[in-house]
Amino acid sequence: MLDLDDELMERYQKGDEGAFTLLVRRHQQPLINFIARFINDRDNAEDLAQETFIRMFKAAHRYEPGRAHFKTWMYHIAKNLCKNEIRNRDRRDKYRVDNVVNSGSDSNNDTEEIDLIANTPANPTFQPEVELERKELRNAIQKAIAELPEQYRLPLVLRDLQGLSYDEISEVLELRSGTTKSRINRARLMLKDKLKPFI
Amino acid sequence: MNCLQAEEHFSAHYEDALDYQTLQGFETHLAACEACQQEYARFQESVKVVQQLPQIEPSPYFMPTLLQRITEERREIGAVKGIATVSWQRLLDVFRRPVWAFSGVLALILAVTGTYLYQDGFLFDRDSGSTAITSEPQEIRVATSPVGTRRVLGNSTQRLPSGVISTPGRPTQQHYVLKQVSYTNASTRGGL
Repeated sequence: MLDLDDELMERYQKGDEGAFTLLVRRHQQPLINFIARFINDRDNAEDLAQETFIRMFKAAHRYEPGRAHFKTWMYHIAKNLCKNEIRNRDRRDKYRVDNVVNSGSDSNNDTEEIDLIANTPANPTFQPEVELERKELRNAIQKAIAELPEQYRLPLVLRDLQGLSYDEISEVLELRSGTTKSRINRARLMLKDKLKPFI
Repeated sequence: MNCLQAEEHFSAHYEDALDYQTLQGFETHLAACEACQQEYARFQESVKVVQQLPQIEPSPYFMPTLLQRITEERREIGAVKGIATVSWQRLLDVFRRPVWAFSGVLALILAVTGTYLYQDGFLFDRDSGSTAITSEPQEIRVATSPVGTRRVLGNSTQRLPSGVISTPGRPTQQHYVLKQVSYTNASTRGGL
């Protein structure tokens, strides 16, 4: 039996153009979250999310409902785009003058972390001190995730922030189930150590 | 089970995915090891805080920009399909006119007939000694005489079309050998 995503894709393939828009509306937020957490950059996250949807739109006629999963297909494309973005970013950074990199990149990271938080929903029972602590903790978590090696960061974000199953993560990352499980456990252990001062 | 082994099962225990035997071993070790108890408590807490990170809302520009890009992509795909369709339609329109259609069919018939006749040897008979083929034996036959050779070399346009000598059906390789021999003789007789 087809799930809703597959049904929408099938309808789009039959000529219902609104079906693809509905798919985008359903998945835009999880996708932007995944990309933002993975590359630690909110502004680029939206660009990459758009690029992901455009690629899916272009390749939609080749999608076989029931055979592949829309969600894993989407994350697979997004993952590849993110890896390219990180590679390009590293390459750009290499060409900068060392002093500029040291002072500039730190401040940029801070801004990005603040930006990530600035867009979170407002708390109705607002308490400045508690809110500050929460922000600090969120910043620390985001920084800790960003510092994880890519091979551990990816499955961790997909599992703990996107809520994908182990099988889905294995499909996205093209890994064996056992490897996925051990990488997620390893990533969580690393994160536990990084967050020691806060927990 | 030691501490390292217990650590490997933190995620599986947290997600309630351990089999009975491993679960017993894990819990027995945890009950006896205070360090692992603390580590596991911190592990659970850190997983919880990560999972509770708030979702990022897309900016208000995200959806309109994306829909605009999709519309542009759709238009581009449509344009490419349209160009292909229009080209074929134009070609077909040309052949819908009676004169062009008749000309096309006639050209096709001529081409097929011509090919058939050429393959059958009707237009160019290789064995009948017609002009295109007999010119070669003429030259060679003349070349057997040293005097004739000079004449041919000096004014080949006069000798070749004469059609006086003809030896149809001789293999080309044999002619070539004769020519070589006669040329050598001619040079020695010249007293050089």
